Amino acid sequence: MSDKLKQIINKQSQQQESAVSQTDNVVQLVGFVIGDEEYAVPILAIQEIIKPFEWTRVPQVPKYVLGVFNLRGAVIPLIDLRTKFGLQSKKHTEETRFIVMRHGDDVAGFVIDRLTMAIRIKKENIGPAPDTVNGDETIIDGVGKQEDKIITILKVNKLLERDF
Amino acid sequence: MDEFQEILQDFLVESFELVEKLDEDLVELESNPEDLELLNGIFRVAHTIKGASSFLNFDVLTHLTHHMEDVLNKARHGELVITPDIMDVVLESIDLMKTLLETIRDTSEDAGIDVSDCVSKLDRVSGGDGNVETPVVEPSGAQEEPAAEESVAEQEDEPDYENMDESEIEDEIERLLKQRQAEDKAKREAKIAAGEKVLMPEHDLDEDTKESQDEQPKAEPKPTAKPAPKPVPKVEAVATEDADAENEDAKAGAPAKRTPAAVEQTIRVDVKRLDHLMNLIGELVLAKNRLMKINEEVEERYEGEEFLEELNQVVSIVSLVTTDLQIAVMKTRMLPVGKVFNKFPRMIRDLSRELNKKIELVLAGEDTELDKSIVEEIGDPLVHIIRNSCDHGVESPAERAAKGKDEMGTIGLKAYNEGNQIVIQIDDDGKGLDAEMLKAKSLEKGIISEKEAENMSDKEAFGLIFKPGFSTAASVTNVSGRGVGMDVVKTNIEKLNGIIDIDSEVGVGTSMKLKIPLTLAIIQALLVGVQEEYYAIPLASVLETVRISKDEIYTVEGRSVMRLRDDVLSLVHIGDIFEVERILDASDHAYVVVLGLGTSKLGLIVDTLVGQEEIVIKSLGDYLKGIDGIAGATIRGDGGVTLIVDVVALMQMAKDVKTTTMIDASAEGSASNEKNKPSDYTIMIVDDSKTDRTIMRKSLESMGMTLIEAADGQEALGILKSGEHNFDAMLVDIEMPRMDGYSLASEIKKYNKYKNLPLIAVTSRTGKSDRMRGVESGMVEYITKPYSSDYLASVVARNVNFKAEFL
Repeated sequence: MSDKLKQIINKQSQQQESAVSQTDNVVQLVGFVIGDEEYAVPILAIQEIIKPFEWTRVPQVPKYVLGVFNLRGAVIPLIDLRTKFGLQSKKHTEETRFIVMRHGDDVAGFVIDRLTMAIRIKKENIGPAPDTVNGDETIIDGVGKQEDKIITILKVNKLLERDF
Repeated sequence: MDEFQEILQDFLVESFELVEKLDEDLVELESNPEDLELLNGIFRVAHTIKGASSFLNFDVLTHLTHHMEDVLNKARHGELVITPDIMDVVLESIDLMKTLLETIRDTSEDAGIDVSDCVSKLDRVSGGDGNVETPVVEPSGAQEEPAAEESVAEQEDEPDYENMDESEIEDEIERLLKQRQAEDKAKREAKIAAGEKVLMPEHDLDEDTKESQDEQPKAEPKPTAKPAPKPVPKVEAVATEDADAENEDAKAGAPAKRTPAAVEQTIRVDVKRLDHLMNLIGELVLAKNRLMKINEEVEERYEGEEFLEELNQVVSIVSLVTTDLQIAVMKTRMLPVGKVFNKFPRMIRDLSRELNKKIELVLAGEDTELDKSIVEEIGDPLVHIIRNSCDHGVESPAERAAKGKDEMGTIGLKAYNEGNQIVIQIDDDGKGLDAEMLKAKSLEKGIISEKEAENMSDKEAFGLIFKPGFSTAASVTNVSGRGVGMDVVKTNIEKLNGIIDIDSEVGVGTSMKLKIPLTLAIIQALLVGVQEEYYAIPLASVLETVRISKDEIYTVEGRSVMRLRDDVLSLVHIGDIFEVERILDASDHAYVVVLGLGTSKLGLIVDTLVGQEEIVIKSLGDYLKGIDGIAGATIRGDGGVTLIVDVVALMQMAKDVKTTTMIDASAEGSASNEKNKPSDYTIMIVDDSKTDRTIMRKSLESMGMTLIEAADGQEALGILKSGEHNFDAMLVDIEMPRMDGYSLASEIKKYNKYKNLPLIAVTSRTGKSDRMRGVESGMVEYITKPYSSDYLASVVARNVNFKAEFL
């Protein structure tokens, strides 16, 4: 009886371990589209995703910094990723969202064209950033391979870094 | 170790507090050498620090305080009269003590500072030969102290007299007892018969005299009951009072008045907690602003409804309580400015000795309270200003005598409230500032150009002393003259959103006023509009606002200026500074906000004035910090973010903006007015009901006009602003979600471009007041539902001047 119990317990704990190792191997990302490309950031770096609303322009900043907006009492910068990535800015649509990302104490909102989905991707399916964009300066963390497409994973800390 | 650290922390906090008070007391003591209460107080401080430091094994500190205590003890017993020279030594030792305490705070050790020189001076003063062994570092010095601690044990809670022998201690105890009894008695008697007084305090002094005779006489003989020679006349008064002995208070003088402060019930609170509280209040103020705004809107929309009154009550209570709460929390962060003033009597004393001048400092309004962060910031600027006044302001005694002034120069330092600001005023009766001389000096140093000098008013010339690199002192002294200080003063005060105002008359003196806001977190601001943007300008920097028409603006040397009464004011457009895109036409009139910072002025042209509002300053965060001209942001009642103008930076930036052009009003808009076919006429239909829109469309379609639909005011405004269509008229429903017809009309009428756009109300609201409001908000026609389509068509046709041939 006790042996059987032990076996069961062992089995259970083994299962748990494998579950843990499974989650260890999987990265959870949130995918979104800017222009024609699909990008993703780690889900844990995202504070919230909101529908666009009014913001206030701030002078003397690069064009991709749209301004600041009020997120429940906090004043947060708003960055247009289209412009930042060198694309033409376009009118906000029904699908446009602000993704509020956080890294440490830095918080900013990013305008994206459209959300895709939450993605679970195995670590071994993530390749390094292409050589041409390598180095510390790149905001590309890696490239995730899905069955039918590839997703560019962005470094949140680089996105939140002031570069002007 | 942790426990030790805790004790150490307490020790340091206590010591610094004591030392702070000590400076003040000592200076007072110098002019009041017989004030026993004062002496006892000072002695207690030295004693307390000594006791604690010996307990914590800070031998150098113990050694020093021990000798200070000796001197003070002698003085207390009347064996020693405090002369300025002795005071120098005592003050020096206190400085050393401060340095030691700071070293302890930073390193938890008191090693590395040589006190032997000072100690031997102290020893000599107290009658020793000056040869004292000083413990240099811990282990060697430790030898001396345990003995002291033993006596501590023996004497229980009066462990200080290890330098006395048994009988002396006995005497001391007796003396203290007697004194205490005498005091009590005096108090009792004073209570019984406040008027007629007996000889109690004299008895007190007698006691002292007896005492001093018991011990071997030292130094100068102790003055007896009615002290004869006094160094300062002021003491005479005190002494007479002593003899008359009104009561305890009169005898103790100033220190007695301060005593209640020590009994005040206080708790120490971490500043972080207060900051947090302040932040929360900030949020609450924003929410309150928003609530009030919503209340206004609701009032408009549901005029006359019963629940409005109730809502109104609640809103006003919330607003009242929020304001009170805000003030209460602000008060918790307030410190009396006396905390900063305290160090100046000592500073003036040192400076006047150093500079061989006679200077008296008159303090007033030390109780005036200021936010903690501000109190911390104003110390340095004040030091610079006062040093300057001592060095350059007040003349030497000989010079003063020659001018027929009192040899004793006076520097007044006072603080008082003025509206929402605190004013700190520094006056001296010195030689004053000579505007011409200041100009000549600045010209010489190339700080200003000849032309600037010519156009400069006296006030502006006084402002020159704040320019970096400016110094009028012929030679650089220890005290001032490097031309750095006043520049720092200006920057620091401006950092606090404060302004400096100088007044001076040659030969009579200089008066400097620092006007500082009460708090940094919440300020009064003037909200201004430019195009579609709003900015908040701290009200403290706004002198006035003027409405001008465009032809009042002149261009001089590529700069815009205007006449403001007798002055010429240079102008800059806020849009030029903040790169505002000019989507909309400016009107013929503009508003000029006259900004003042100290002596410089600037006129800032804005499109509209929105009003005064209480705003909570929020930082823009790391990502956007350091933007020129922007001091921060605030959240408005409607939830939007408004940027706060940094007036200091803006004035700098204004110098680089050359011409200020105001866009010609009639450039656009009227261009495509030529109508060649019915579809050239464009009408916007604004109604939230699809059915109503369709009815209107049907009514107008037959005429062939171009029709654009919008479901509410916001959408309509958006379409209008996008500029895709050039509308000839708008049909506007009154009741709509998001933005109603009235608001839409008033929004539209704000823009010059649409001033003449006919707005036609189409509504089921038929009340007279509704019609009135319609007219007020700029509607030209009022059509009530239901209407016939012919009627609608004819009204529209009339308003757009529909050409008859198209019909």
